[in-house]
Amino acid sequence: MSSAVSTLAPLQVGEPLLPERLGELTGLDQLGVGGELIAAFIGAFIVGNLMLAMTGVAGPWAKRKITAAFTDRYAVNRIGPFGLLIIVADAVRLLAKENIIPEDADRPAYDLAPIIVASSAMLGFAVIPMGSGIQLADPEVGLAYVFATAGIASIGLVMAGYASSNKYSMIGGLRAVAQNIAYEIPLVVTGLSVVIFAGTLQMSEIVAAQAETLITIGGLDIPMWYAFVNPFAFVLFVAANVAEIGRNPFDIPEAPTEIVAGYQTEYSSVYFVLIYLGEFLHIFLGGAIIATVFLGGPAGPGPAELGIVWFIVKIWAVFLFTQWLRSALPRVRIDQLIEIGWKGMLVLAFANLVLTALIVGLLEADADLTLTMLTVIFA
Amino acid sequence: MSTGLEPVDGDLEGSEADLASLIGDRALERDDHVNAPGFVIRPDDVQDVLFDLRDRAGFDYLSCVTAQQYEDRYESIYHLKKYDDPTQEVSVVVPTSTDNPVSQTAEPVYRAADWAERENFDLVGIDYEGHPDPRRILLPETWQGHPLSLDYNQEKPQMVTLAEHANPLKGDTKDTETDTMFLNIGPHHPATHGVLHVKAVLDGETVVDVDPDIGYLHRCEEQMCQQGTYRHQIMPYPDRWDYVSAGLLNEWAYARAVEDLADIEVPEYAQVIRTLGAELCRIAAHMLALGTFCLDVFGDFNAVFQYAFRDREVVQDILEDLTGQRLMFNYFRLGGVAWDLPEPREDFFEKTRDFLDGLPRKISEYEDLVVTNEIFQIRCVDTGILKPEVAKSYGATGPTARGSGIDMDLRRDDPYGYYENLDWDVITEDGMDNYSRVLVRMGEVEESAKIIEQCIDLLEDWPEDDREIQSNVPRTLKPDADTEVYRGVEAAKGELGIYIRSDGTDKPGRFKIRSPCFHNLSTLPVMTQGEYIADLIASLGSLDIVLGEVDR
Repeated sequence: MSSAVSTLAPLQVGEPLLPERLGELTGLDQLGVGGELIAAFIGAFIVGNLMLAMTGVAGPWAKRKITAAFTDRYAVNRIGPFGLLIIVADAVRLLAKENIIPEDADRPAYDLAPIIVASSAMLGFAVIPMGSGIQLADPEVGLAYVFATAGIASIGLVMAGYASSNKYSMIGGLRAVAQNIAYEIPLVVTGLSVVIFAGTLQMSEIVAAQAETLITIGGLDIPMWYAFVNPFAFVLFVAANVAEIGRNPFDIPEAPTEIVAGYQTEYSSVYFVLIYLGEFLHIFLGGAIIATVFLGGPAGPGPAELGIVWFIVKIWAVFLFTQWLRSALPRVRIDQLIEIGWKGMLVLAFANLVLTALIVGLLEADADLTLTMLTVIFA
Repeated sequence: MSTGLEPVDGDLEGSEADLASLIGDRALERDDHVNAPGFVIRPDDVQDVLFDLRDRAGFDYLSCVTAQQYEDRYESIYHLKKYDDPTQEVSVVVPTSTDNPVSQTAEPVYRAADWAERENFDLVGIDYEGHPDPRRILLPETWQGHPLSLDYNQEKPQMVTLAEHANPLKGDTKDTETDTMFLNIGPHHPATHGVLHVKAVLDGETVVDVDPDIGYLHRCEEQMCQQGTYRHQIMPYPDRWDYVSAGLLNEWAYARAVEDLADIEVPEYAQVIRTLGAELCRIAAHMLALGTFCLDVFGDFNAVFQYAFRDREVVQDILEDLTGQRLMFNYFRLGGVAWDLPEPREDFFEKTRDFLDGLPRKISEYEDLVVTNEIFQIRCVDTGILKPEVAKSYGATGPTARGSGIDMDLRRDDPYGYYENLDWDVITEDGMDNYSRVLVRMGEVEESAKIIEQCIDLLEDWPEDDREIQSNVPRTLKPDADTEVYRGVEAAKGELGIYIRSDGTDKPGRFKIRSPCFHNLSTLPVMTQGEYIADLIASLGSLDIVLGEVDR
């Protein structure tokens, strides 16, 4: 935990992180490294539960309600207000089911896969600045760390795919790997273009860099969110992210009407819940990355204490967007997906990177020249 | 394709004398049916005669192959038609002995005979010599006997345990030579539209070979119809063949066959109501086809599926008002329909007109969401190619054939009901792909709306003293013995034909259903070879099969 490290050499300055504040609040920091460790665990517990609570709501309830709104239906409305208690009913139902494990399953791998899928997404939240002082750690390599942890999920998916001893799972697992490789590179490269702007990989710094005012229109300050600074990169990133989390039009690793449920075909009961949670956590992690890197993180109107609210609003906006895509767009075919990834997105991502590097380089070299260049470009 | 020869325009017209001279000495005798001249030939002349009829007389459409057993013989009947003019029909009757029921296969002439003859072997017990794939098709491989043969003991229960059933997972499907993978798609699978089992051989994501395995929903419909009386007991069954809201279209197939068999007149007023009801059913069926196809291409929980159901619901309400039922209408009667339009008539007309008025907006919504969607286009254009000559050889009909540019629609080419007095068009598309088939169905929805509108106009102005809904049909209908008829109507999926042979009683001697889905589905292997799994699913969806009708 970075809080433990921070006693040796302060990696970050500025706002104290959640574990440190908890340590101060409870007096645990008086107990030395051990106390800080406990404080860090408490912080992780809070953030983890916040995310699990959101996915718990998103999975059984919000997804149904949102999809229903898109498709002219009512969805759950019988149990509790707005059908909210379906969450409880679903939890009981899913956990009470028999956990059926295929005879020929490759046991340790089959059991580990759901855990890897779910936990890899949880790990990513450790470095996300969620506003209101909620951030567990803020290493200098923050952005790289998030991409790395999110990438671990691919291992889980391929494990689930081959260990299930099911041909549909196998196809789904292979599809998942092919897709993730094809889209992680554009994702990371597009993320790099932001790093060039911000000059840092540290998440808090990236957020801070977006706090400045980009332009004032009619007395309204438009902040320097990278979605506004570089909309092209934003669109690319969002598209690659949809493929990364495997949602329409890129939901081919699951593709229920083609390969039943892909890598998760054989999973039932608790394991199914874990995989399902993992998927939703990945959608939320994708939303968190987009919010942090392109949408100013927890920034929003009102006092800074409201940061976490704005942050959650932004995550849910991304979630809503993925559900919208799911309702409206056909799924592409595997060969088309790979083609779009390698021949389209990758090229565009690199073009974006080079262009951003050029512009930023010129900006630093000569502000006047850049202004002329921009005038030329936009004229 | 596999026939090698593309049917060429014959040097003969279809007149009976010409046909008689074409068949010549090979015709042992005549066995004319109500709908067509019939020629009896020897079992070893089948290919010879059929090749001549196809290549020299232009009979490029093997509509149906009926098999039946008499006391003294087995009989296969090849009902031939022309795609250009389905009113030109000829029946080729092939009797074989009871001791050794072997007949030459027609598969080299028409690929449609492949599945049709398998079914005849399965249910009746005629062996087709030279058939490339002489397996059972509807019943399990281990079934004993042939249920529609006369000596079959229907009382004896047959249990086919899983252990006895050929197990597709056995080692023999494991191919160590190549890198292909055998995959069972179905019978329980989200995209098989019922209980279809597709045995697929895959090379990675590419489909190498496909073998549809049907029969999971076989309910002995032909047998049940043979045990019911013409007048009342058969009409409920057609609703259960293509059960996704195409009920009235199916009922019309039975009504038309018997009305021709027993020479029953249908009052004009009833014909208009029938036409109205049938086209409502067609809209409902095509809406469902569009919705489920989008389910296959978009994925589950997509908006189009729900929108299609929302719009279909309006049609269902109208049909409920008309027939009193939502699924199993049982509304047609021999010689007319069960009852007149619901009172007050104005409300019914208004409701139907409201639906028609709202339809263009809904269709443009589908166009935005589906047809013009670029991802949808890259998925569907140029996938699932069904060339017209292949479609003809397999006996494909309906939107499947019209999506391949085959301009045939029995409503126009072999008119029945009130269609010939109305102004509407047959929709065809030349794309031969999944996309074309979607376009054809959407176009047909608009054409059906046109027909309904004209029917409403007619019915509104119909004089009150001339509203005869049923002609006078005897309570017990006993058509003359040994009259045979084969009649088809344009159902939602294509030509739904029914062959009836009367034996002088009030029940049919033989009742044979020619299912459009059955023949359309048989094109699946040709359509999908070399394509991706995703295209296999999309192609299957674009065929719009209903397993209740495939398996009967």
